[in-house]
Amino acid sequence: MKRMLHGPWAPAFFSLALLSSAPLSLGCGSAQPPKELVEARAAYQRAESGVAGKLAPAQVHVAKKSLDDAERAFDDRGDEPDVRDKAYVALRKAQIAEARAGALGADQQKSLAQKEVGQATQTELHATKKALEETKNKLAMEQQQRVDLERRNKEALEQLAKLAAIKEESRGTVITISGAVLFPSNQSVLLPGAISALDNVVTTLKAAPDRDVVVEGHTDAQGARGYNMDLGLKRAESVRAHFVSRGIQPERVKAAGIGPDRPISDNKTPEGRAQNRRVEIIVSPPERK
Amino acid sequence: MRHRFAIAAAALGLLACGSYPAPTERLVSSQAAVRVAQEVNATAVPQASLHLKLAQEQVEQAKQMIADGNNQRAELVLMRAEADAELAEALAREANFKNQAQQALDEAKTAKQRLKGDGK
Repeated sequence: MKRMLHGPWAPAFFSLALLSSAPLSLGCGSAQPPKELVEARAAYQRAESGVAGKLAPAQVHVAKKSLDDAERAFDDRGDEPDVRDKAYVALRKAQIAEARAGALGADQQKSLAQKEVGQATQTELHATKKALEETKNKLAMEQQQRVDLERRNKEALEQLAKLAAIKEESRGTVITISGAVLFPSNQSVLLPGAISALDNVVTTLKAAPDRDVVVEGHTDAQGARGYNMDLGLKRAESVRAHFVSRGIQPERVKAAGIGPDRPISDNKTPEGRAQNRRVEIIVSPPERK
Repeated sequence: MRHRFAIAAAALGLLACGSYPAPTERLVSSQAAVRVAQEVNATAVPQASLHLKLAQEQVEQAKQMIADGNNQRAELVLMRAEADAELAEALAREANFKNQAQQALDEAKTAKQRLKGDGK
């Protein structure tokens, strides 16, 4: 029976109920229920079938008792002031049930929303922690990479120092490698042993990517100057080609043939001439900003 | 004690108009309901304020009826007053809860938007 009130037949049920009570009302000499009772019935129906029925059943029950009381008074006496008072009270009780349910519903909404805020804060905290951790790891990794690079660079310079002279000059860092280390006599094809020496230079060049490089091929003064100029340039080109093959950007490296024009020693002795046959790698000073 | 008081009241009522006792208890409880409604700030919520005013007016009306010896009507008017006061209280509490819920919902919305922003 109670279920029927929720269904689409509720209005029909109510009009039936009204019809069945009609003879009784007629018996009392009044068929018209007072406005207060009509309102109370509607309010109770609304409360009972709405949220209040679920959230504030006790209060709905109080409203029901109050409405029953008013209905009985109306059945007994018809439209009298005291019947109106009872119906008025019943109407208020139904409204109270709805308001109480509204309060409870709002409180539940509040709890849910607060839970969501809590979860969001938790997620944010988690994300922040994760980002912090990632940044830390990244920094540590970069630091490690820097340390590794510096170590490799230092090792490369140490290796290089065994085969070459390294000097700081106004034109930059000058790495001087003996021609005998790099090339067979009168040739411009690199010796196998030259590769490791030059690879050490490559390592230091990679450690300083913002610095340009000039490779100069020098010879002694024996033989025709034109031949020596040509040999110097070819040797410088060979060294440059090796750098580029190892991943140094071509635009960073220039090759120049100096030939016999800038000796560093006496061309009259064999030792002096050996010193003059050389390749100079000039790494430009860091750009001043 | 209360019983004896009721008898005394009934006796007084009988003396006063010879029929119905003065609704003293109902008067006290409806006045208490009005005070509760005032305490939960019913005056600040328009709908609640309306019912509080109705309750107060009906209490005054009932007092006049008691003074006029119309105890039976007075009791019913006091029941109306009490129901209005109780409704005023319930409406005020409901409004208060709804405000709090709205605040929490706004906070949740802001938090969600913040999360979305972080996700970019």
